[in-house]
Amino acid sequence: MKTFLAQYRALLWQAVQVEWANAERWLSPLLFSGTMILLFVFTFGTVEPKFIPQLYIAATFLTAFFSLQISFSRVLEPDMQDRVFDQLRTYPISPSAWFLSKYTIVIALGVLILAPTLFLSDLFLNVSGKSLLNGSLAIIALMALLSLGALGVLLSTMMLRSNAKQILYPLIYFPLTIPVLLSAVESSHAILVDGKDLSYLMSSWLGLLVIFGIMYFTLCLLLFGELVKPE
Amino acid sequence: MIDARKQDRLTLALGIAVFAFAGLCWFYALKFAPPDAAQGEVYRIIYFHVPSAITAFLSSAVLAVLSLWTLFKRSPTAAVWSKASAEVGLIFTVLTLVTGSIWGRPTWGVWWDWDARLTTTLLLALLYAGYLIFTSSMSPGPQRDRMSAALGVIIGLDVPIIYKSVTWWRTLHQPPSLLRSGGSSMDPDMVKILMTCLVAMILIGAWLLWTRSVNLKLQASIEEHSHSVHSH
Repeated sequence: MKTFLAQYRALLWQAVQVEWANAERWLSPLLFSGTMILLFVFTFGTVEPKFIPQLYIAATFLTAFFSLQISFSRVLEPDMQDRVFDQLRTYPISPSAWFLSKYTIVIALGVLILAPTLFLSDLFLNVSGKSLLNGSLAIIALMALLSLGALGVLLSTMMLRSNAKQILYPLIYFPLTIPVLLSAVESSHAILVDGKDLSYLMSSWLGLLVIFGIMYFTLCLLLFGELVKPE
Repeated sequence: MIDARKQDRLTLALGIAVFAFAGLCWFYALKFAPPDAAQGEVYRIIYFHVPSAITAFLSSAVLAVLSLWTLFKRSPTAAVWSKASAEVGLIFTVLTLVTGSIWGRPTWGVWWDWDARLTTTLLLALLYAGYLIFTSSMSPGPQRDRMSAALGVIIGLDVPIIYKSVTWWRTLHQPPSLLRSGGSSMDPDMVKILMTCLVAMILIGAWLLWTRSVNLKLQASIEEHSHSVHSH
């Protein structure tokens, strides 16, 4: 356990340093997210107050989904460029520690993109003065992020050797994450538009979101080890 | 050479037998099955739609099992069979979507609806397509087999959610008529014919899987031979 934690800390620190040294890797999805929201505001103009929550949900999740996809698809790029990936594969390190370090950094980057997206959407789209942001919405967004992040790490590892990763990443990421995205959108809709609470939603869309979160995290943790094994 | 010819003839004979059996089943279903009390004659597409859907789902189960086999036993043969099962799965998923759409127009009034089961079936088709493009985009070898197998496991696990989605949420799609608590709601004659059509469709799937696996193995050995010739 001690060795595992030491490996996890070392790998996480390496990942943080890489991300810090390449600020454009997380800044570009963030800028993309801001631009998308501005475009939404510009396109829709003044919206009837009753449609604001719906537009807020659509704009936020669409923007967040694409920004996160850009961010996640690049998660192993610096390792590949410096050949760190191939070296790490030959070291006797725990694949779980490796996966968890990448997963942690991906979640941190996701929060860095998702939080401003939620805030900016509320600021620009919601002219009613009453904020749409609340704890339930934050929990739903975080749950979605936990599922998307696990898949992000696994798929970017898979795509490392593929000749068609630019097309394949969205092609595979899109159908796998649609249930997560749909559950997040439907849960947010039920909270913001229908006025339901989280406990009510657990037996429907939010339940699916939790199931997907657990399933994807477990699967990705188990499969990552198989993908990084040396030949 | 003689063995290969014999195998070809056997495959062809099996294919003719399987398709003849399926043709007879569908002819009987269209001509002699009793009409449905609510839907009349239009329901008869069920004898094609439901077996296609079940075979598509079975293909994903086969893909998941073969992918696990590839991952844990490092078997290149299992990897070839996995790819073949994804191809067969894609064919049957597309058939399910097309026949479902044709059935949906007169019964629901729409060709398509973003219903949970329809959406997840479409996602399954996209996943099969993604899996096949992914496999083709990588250089042959153990790494490709492992990566594809990991994706195959994820696709295989998506299928139970497709099946359960109808009972988890109220959807436009009717609830299961065959496998449900309290027994089937269908006429026993209809069930018998449906089961025969299902057997026929599974046999077609098995035949396609077998034929495609043989072709893929042949293709792999040609690639390997070509690679060794070029490296010398």
